[in-house]
Amino acid sequence: MAARQRSHPPALARPPRTDHYVRGTLLLLLVWAWSAAALCAPHEHKQPVVLAPGYAPLEFTAPEPGSYGLPPMGAAADGDVLDSSGNEARLHDFIGDKPTVLSFIFTTCDDVNGCPLATYVMRSVQDALQADPLTANKARLVSFSFDPLFDTPDVIDAYGSQFRAQDFDWQFLTTEGAATLDPILSAYDQWVIRDYDANGDYMGTMSHILRVFLIDESRQIRNIYSTSFLHANTVANDVRSLLIEAQKNANTAAKTSR
Amino acid sequence: MILRAFLSAAIALALIVQPTAADETCMSPYMAKIVGQEDYVYIWTLGLEGVGDGEDKLVTVDVNPDSETYGTVIHSISMGGRHEAHHSGLTDDRRYLWASGLDTSKIFIFDVHSDPAAPKLHRTIDDFVEKTGGVVGPHTNYALPGRMLVTGLSNNRDHGGRTGMAEYTNGGDFITSVWMPTDDNLQGAVKAGSFADGYGYDARALPRRNVLVTSSFTGWNNYMMNLGKMMGDAEAMKRFGNTVVIWDLHTRTPKKILDVPGAPLEIRCAWGSRSNYCFTTTALTSKVWLIYEDDAGEWQAKAVADIGDASKIPLPVDISISADDNHLWINTWNDGLVRLYDISDPFAPTQVMEKQIGEQVNMVSQSWDGERVYFTSSLLASWDKTTASEGNDLQYFKLYNWDGESLTPEFNLDFIELGLGAPHQMRFGAHALYGGTSAQSPSGLGTPPAH
Repeated sequence: MAARQRSHPPALARPPRTDHYVRGTLLLLLVWAWSAAALCAPHEHKQPVVLAPGYAPLEFTAPEPGSYGLPPMGAAADGDVLDSSGNEARLHDFIGDKPTVLSFIFTTCDDVNGCPLATYVMRSVQDALQADPLTANKARLVSFSFDPLFDTPDVIDAYGSQFRAQDFDWQFLTTEGAATLDPILSAYDQWVIRDYDANGDYMGTMSHILRVFLIDESRQIRNIYSTSFLHANTVANDVRSLLIEAQKNANTAAKTSR
Repeated sequence: MILRAFLSAAIALALIVQPTAADETCMSPYMAKIVGQEDYVYIWTLGLEGVGDGEDKLVTVDVNPDSETYGTVIHSISMGGRHEAHHSGLTDDRRYLWASGLDTSKIFIFDVHSDPAAPKLHRTIDDFVEKTGGVVGPHTNYALPGRMLVTGLSNNRDHGGRTGMAEYTNGGDFITSVWMPTDDNLQGAVKAGSFADGYGYDARALPRRNVLVTSSFTGWNNYMMNLGKMMGDAEAMKRFGNTVVIWDLHTRTPKKILDVPGAPLEIRCAWGSRSNYCFTTTALTSKVWLIYEDDAGEWQAKAVADIGDASKIPLPVDISISADDNHLWINTWNDGLVRLYDISDPFAPTQVMEKQIGEQVNMVSQSWDGERVYFTSSLLASWDKTTASEGNDLQYFKLYNWDGESLTPEFNLDFIELGLGAPHQMRFGAHALYGGTSAQSPSGLGTPPAH
């Protein structure tokens, strides 16, 4: 859905890392979506904002993990990144050793069905995987900013702290700038349209398509989710499916080596 | 997803979460949408012997009334031969247009984002049959998240109607394929009626219900045969699809095979957030069918209306559902009529108007607001008429304005006179999709848009 930010908000302050804060953030988000639509409706006849399916209970039973295939869609690309502490790293440092869910976001995105949806769903995936001892430490989430101008390591660290549960492997990444970011976005077919003023200066706003990637231990993309498709139940079961597949492969390899 | 409003167009995405969203007209819910004025219509056009260079073409028509070239062909790219150009579809980000050939099984991928006014060939898939393990006749090119679903019509073993579907990345790399369920191999699906023919044609998704719906037409032997000859061949006439299949969208596995006799073709699903149904029409039996989820959560098929007089073989072809799910345009190719049905009660569609469009009429595409309705004429090279009665156009691209009561002609392009061929599938383009404002260059990553 839309991802357009008209102006930068004040710098983020690091909030307390509590579930109450997260729930409060979501509640405010939902209230904002409802109230914005309600305020607009009498004057501009705009359609109310309808929240994406990812915010509601899934209307069907997610397919049983391991009961279906997730055919490889191609290699997940590498590139230079910065972690939330400002350390230089490679994107492949964060994908490949275990199933990874990767989303491209920017922290000032104000479209309720865009980046906030991705982060909300990933938070729910985190909850689901962490609640099961068999999966708690077996997967990783990566939220990758495509607004390096605003989303400095400090900013994404503060952003991430609102959502990351203690002891769960959820990484928040950014880049030094467009020179390193753009090749990564291009490789993932995650294009954005940046807005420029009459002087050709970047206005800090952009449009993009929401895409979230499921990547396996071989760094192969195994699924892509967009707004209508993104739901924690299906994503979590896709992660479980990859874990089951990896276990089967390991068992087969062990038998072969005997 | 995208949401940009510029001078010429407004784009909306993720329609599945919007209560009144339609399409422009009937594309994937995963796709960016043009909800304002479209700038271009891309017409996948069948080459005709003796008409221009005789090759299949992607023809671009300027349809923005504010443009100096409004209502004219502004670009055409020939494909080096005839491939039985038929259907086309855009990727979910609308950067590429996939256009397939039913005869050669080639798929041409056009870049429509670098310069929306002048699409260029980006890649040609010429190993579709090999990669899919024998699927022939790529038909519907349907956007899923980050990938394209391509339905087939036939196979390379007997060139009959048994076929499958393939998935490709948006860039054109093969991912996987699946065959339609048959009596020999139901693949776990429930055969609800008498048929499990394994035929294919169109596909549409209802992601909220985790449902993919497919329909069934006929194989290469029939769609490449002269229409008169085929109609006189009793055996050939038996080889048409009689099924609609309900699939698990997430796992791409068939769940239920429904009897819908008489070659169900295009599938159009309702957009309402609680509307769990789709429409299709049957070419041979001339009926409107409702494919719906009942109160028990079971998917069913029901014939809900007749289309003209079936004994006169009007041959329903393309259909287009309105933004509010209240109306359905239905073209009947053989008599050249478009009919409008009130489908506010999906179980009881009623015809509210009809109009002669041409000697023959095949595809219909409407703008987001329903105010502009476009028509093209061609069905298949071996089936198209070669002469027209007095006053009727044969091969054309037409725009009508719709005011809720009547269709008013806006412009008409004669594709024979223009040396182009036989026009088929239409898809819309707009500069605003790519950061442009009108007939200007789009922006690229990290590059300011041209002003």
